[in-house]
Amino acid sequence: MTEESNSGNDSPLNRMRRRLTPPEFPTDDRSRMRMVVDSLILHLHPTKVPRSTLRWTYTWGLGGLSALLVMLLALTGVFLQMNYTPSPPQAYLDVLALRTDTWFGDLLRNLHHWSANLLIVTSVLHLLRVFFTGAHRPPREVNWLLGIGMLLLVVGGNFTGYLLPWDQLAYWAITVGTSILTYIPVIGQPLSGLLLGGPEVGAPTLLTFYSLHISFIPLGILALMSYHFWRVRKDGGLTIPKSASGREEPAPERVTTIPHLVRREVVWAAAWLAILFLWAMLIPAPLEGIADPAVSPNPAKAPWYFLGIQELLLHFHPLVGAVIIPTLGLGALALMPFYDIHTENVGVYFRSYRGRYISLLAVGGALLLTPLWVLLDEYVLDWAAWLPNWPTLLSNGAIPLAIVLLGIFALDEILRRSFRVNTEERVLALFIFLFTALVVLTIIGIFFRGPGMALYWPWEMPALH
Amino acid sequence: MKPIHIKPRTIEILAGIIATAMIVTGIALYAWNEPSRLQQAQAAQLAVDLDGAMTLYAHNCAVCHGAAGEGIGANPALSTPALQTSDPESITKIISRGLYGSAMPAWSLEDGGPLSEYQIDQLVSLIQNGDWQATQERVVNLGLAPLIPFVSEADPEILAGLAALPEGGALATGISLYAENCVACHGADGAGTTLAPALNDPTVRAQSAEALERTLRLGVAGTLMAGWEKALDDEQIAALLELMLRWDEVPGGAIPAPDEPILVTEESLALGSELYTASCANCHGPTGEGSQRAPSLNVRSYLAETPDAALQQIITLGVPETSMPAWGDRLIEAQIQAIVGFIRSWEPTAPEVAQPVRVRGPWWQGSTSAGSSPQLPSGGATTSASPDTAQPTPVGGDLGKHQGSGAGGANSPWVVQELPWYQTLDPRSIALGLGVVFLASLLVLVALRGLRRLNR
Repeated sequence: MTEESNSGNDSPLNRMRRRLTPPEFPTDDRSRMRMVVDSLILHLHPTKVPRSTLRWTYTWGLGGLSALLVMLLALTGVFLQMNYTPSPPQAYLDVLALRTDTWFGDLLRNLHHWSANLLIVTSVLHLLRVFFTGAHRPPREVNWLLGIGMLLLVVGGNFTGYLLPWDQLAYWAITVGTSILTYIPVIGQPLSGLLLGGPEVGAPTLLTFYSLHISFIPLGILALMSYHFWRVRKDGGLTIPKSASGREEPAPERVTTIPHLVRREVVWAAAWLAILFLWAMLIPAPLEGIADPAVSPNPAKAPWYFLGIQELLLHFHPLVGAVIIPTLGLGALALMPFYDIHTENVGVYFRSYRGRYISLLAVGGALLLTPLWVLLDEYVLDWAAWLPNWPTLLSNGAIPLAIVLLGIFALDEILRRSFRVNTEERVLALFIFLFTALVVLTIIGIFFRGPGMALYWPWEMPALH
Repeated sequence: MKPIHIKPRTIEILAGIIATAMIVTGIALYAWNEPSRLQQAQAAQLAVDLDGAMTLYAHNCAVCHGAAGEGIGANPALSTPALQTSDPESITKIISRGLYGSAMPAWSLEDGGPLSEYQIDQLVSLIQNGDWQATQERVVNLGLAPLIPFVSEADPEILAGLAALPEGGALATGISLYAENCVACHGADGAGTTLAPALNDPTVRAQSAEALERTLRLGVAGTLMAGWEKALDDEQIAALLELMLRWDEVPGGAIPAPDEPILVTEESLALGSELYTASCANCHGPTGEGSQRAPSLNVRSYLAETPDAALQQIITLGVPETSMPAWGDRLIEAQIQAIVGFIRSWEPTAPEVAQPVRVRGPWWQGSTSAGSSPQLPSGGATTSASPDTAQPTPVGGDLGKHQGSGAGGANSPWVVQELPWYQTLDPRSIALGLGVVFLASLLVLVALRGLRRLNR
């Protein structure tokens, strides 16, 4: 407290003005230090950042955008919560009332819906950016794991939120989505029972999902996000991009965070808020008729981000498609920074020139091979019928899985022998190949699967009855 | 002239200002529009509710209250101004809990009925805001119009014969009462309809007289069966009970069905087949299997639930808001009846589930239609009279083979008609396929070229 503010002849208005407006820039070191410590922005960011990390095309602002979306979701979520009762059929009526009776109700719901879906996309893109620039490598392993944890929480948040409108879309997507759980051996059934609160999606499920959606998941995301931010600084800030030749700049030029970084953050946030508001004003979030357990749509599809897994279920035994492959994938993702530890080319997109070409090769290969394999498996391969006496776990699970894995190893071997690729470039190629395959499978699941989960061209998709 | 140089910083700040301005003006405009948006949303929601309610009404209410809510017999009309202005709460209560002493059962799930709170709310809003003209159309289109002679008349000769039997007086009274009160739901000769079970049945006769009497007097909660205690006196109930227990003594045809099936002859079938191929096959498929434009007709459940009269009504009046036109403008009644007879001829061989054939003709021709052989109903299986000359020919058995039996339970219920594969492609499929292959190959080629250069 300074003497000035204690002087009695100052008006309260003046005192308020002085407290809320920025002070004159201090001249002594102690006050300058004080100012830095008092600044919220400089709590989050270092005072100076390397100029090269500010390049738009280096980070694409994906982490910041994800954080912005989380804040927007929390804010709109609280308002939605004020207008919502987590019990059928009132839940659906409340969502209808948001549309028909609540001022800005529709806008809030649309914002929440589209932000939630965009958050999944930005989280995954953020993960890709980090992986492509090698930012997951030591010493940033913990932040990579935190990121994967947050991605799972984001998907969980989206999944639990999917049920809340209690319309047909919500009901059946959650029914299909949770049925994937039951394929986990031993704990699958009890886990599904615990989550659903009964044999099928019903009133207890809605309450469970609502509670998770408004308590554990946002709290978890908040906690992990704070830790994530803190760790970014602890691990030495953003990775500093190098030229593709791998030559390190002698001493990276540093600029002050305010205004260089903060200006970009504010502009980025404002631009995305503008996009989101326009989007939410123009495109309404989907809402179908009230949930009816007696009338199932054909096809009944899980939420869009699970359609890659649902597509796998059509080609593999459930244990393989729904449990083994996703677990292997997630495990490999989590182990990545402990395996891929060379740090020479950190900050270079796709590691090197050769890395870029291999990445192109992997994307092209996956784009060609994945649809081909889906068509082959759909119309030609029928192991279960060819080997009638074998258990389906073998004929429909182990055999196709072995063929796919052998195919991937063969491709990898060809790559290794034909070009001088090192291990980290092979890991990169494998990651990109599998990720592209997942994207292709998801697209097939979303746009090409019709009644009876048969393949259709999107423009020939029969209308639902 | 000096070249204009704009600093990136300037662009960023400008973008920020533009974005902020967009958000502010966007929210302002949205707020300005919000009252009218709310009104539109309310109107749209009311339309959705009424639409749902009309279907509910057709399935649950029309049989007693009439297709247009005009009321039938003792059952009150619903399309009255009094109900439109009355308190919605009291209408909700009546629908939910029923009206004691009348034929109105309780409909809410809580009280053992089939309807949820939400559905009852929809019905109330139909009764208070409804367009009864549209409701009537819906009821007719669903083939659920109440039979016009809601009350049948017992055959007087048989009635006289029965009365002469020992203790036949009660039986005859029972039949008269049945023809007056029960036939609409329980069907001609107690054979049952889609609305209510058969009563002329050994399992009914096996029940104790007490149980049957209780059902007659008190009704069955959660079904259309009302308690008749108030409407009929003890003597009448006793007569109906007598009929339940002694129906096997009543000769067939005592209580004729109010609905006469359409007579089918070989000529009418040929005419129907010709007309069907010319007018209906394009959308409903050559053998009624349906297409993306129109639902399948050749399904057992549909044919079993839809009487000839309903088929005739649908063809004559069309289905509003769909591509089904009103054929009454173009065809005479006899022609429409011939088509109905032809469609009915599928019933014995109709598959349990719809098997729409995806007739994917060559893309330069559009969809093709394959020839089909009509089939006369074989005796006894259906309602229609059948000439002895009829030679049943299987339909739909040799259409094509199952395809797409992928692993993991992806068996497709769709039957794909065999055409050379190159004829089944259309330009968009080719474009998409080539696009993906081209893009992927381009990436692979660029990558291979780069890698080779790096290897050198």
